[in-house]
Amino acid sequence: MSTAGVPPESVTVDTLEQIARRNQTWSVMADKYGVENPVPPWKTSLDGMCDAIDRSCAGDDMGFTFKDRRDEEDALSVTRYADLPYPENQLVALAHSLVTRGVIDEAELRRRLDAVRARLEA
Amino acid sequence: MTEHDHNHDHNHNHDHDHDRTIKPMVDEITDFEVLEIALRELCIEKGLFTAAEHRLFTEFAEQIGPTPAARLVARAWLDPDFKRLALTDALAASKQVGVDWLEPTGFGTPSDFVAFKILENTPAVHNVIVCALCSCYPRPILGNSPEWYRTPNYRRRIVRWPRQVLSEFGLVLPDDVEVRVEDSNQKHRFMVMPLRPEGTDGWTEDQLAEIITRDCLIGVALPTPGVTTNIITKTRPAIRPIAN
Repeated sequence: MSTAGVPPESVTVDTLEQIARRNQTWSVMADKYGVENPVPPWKTSLDGMCDAIDRSCAGDDMGFTFKDRRDEEDALSVTRYADLPYPENQLVALAHSLVTRGVIDEAELRRRLDAVRARLEA
Repeated sequence: MTEHDHNHDHNHNHDHDHDRTIKPMVDEITDFEVLEIALRELCIEKGLFTAAEHRLFTEFAEQIGPTPAARLVARAWLDPDFKRLALTDALAASKQVGVDWLEPTGFGTPSDFVAFKILENTPAVHNVIVCALCSCYPRPILGNSPEWYRTPNYRRRIVRWPRQVLSEFGLVLPDDVEVRVEDSNQKHRFMVMPLRPEGTDGWTEDQLAEIITRDCLIGVALPTPGVTTNIITKTRPAIRPIAN
């Protein structure tokens, strides 16, 4: 899916909508299991991913700058993913940006999600 | 494993005085955890970044926090020479509290350009920082920004109605104190050096550092003896979202 020029929030990414609807957010999970950490364990890895993308993708053909990433995150966090808290909205917005820019194909993402889950549950 | 631990592992039913408490964990694989891994793997496979680059930035994200910034201000309160250095060469002062702004790449992080200035509060001037454009923040010395700092709500309103927004954090400043809002950007980062409060005479650097919270260094709170935690604010959606 490449939707250059189209506001990212006008595009539906079913796979991500389903994840958002299932709402396994950290606040819900932490409450359920009595965990006190304020942020999910994957947060620093997400930060690392954002920094790595900011460093490598701004100047290449993709032209995905730090500002683009943050603007799209802000737009998506008050529209498509308004019900998600931070940092889940940051993660889903990044995925959404990469899918709508055609960097990652949605079907490919879905297959990978299944594969990763199968691996973690093995 | 020590001999003692080894024995312990084989004697689960006896009472003893060396309780080992295991913190609870989320015993469920969440969609978000799976998504983070899947996304990262696909990015690496497509050459957006390498696993080594990702690890470098993740390690950086894991070790940053507000402690060095608090230590820097506490030291500046106690040592006039160090204060002068902090206000004239904030990068050199940062190094003295263990922060090298060139880390982790040799050029800083992608979004933390190596230009950093510390803004001194005076009895007549109160500083507060924002990034009106996105969420630029002095991460190397202050850690990750709080959620509210990233919201369009704070970013848009603090530059227009600073006193009102500060009052929402419980900070009401007298009218004769000028409020300056410093807008960070990708080329320049800022941090506030608050005034040392009354009631801290004779305090050590460690004692002072405890009351210099992240919020004081952003400028939405003032250091107060006995207060060592940040303000918890509810993040509210913007009344007029950017789509409008």
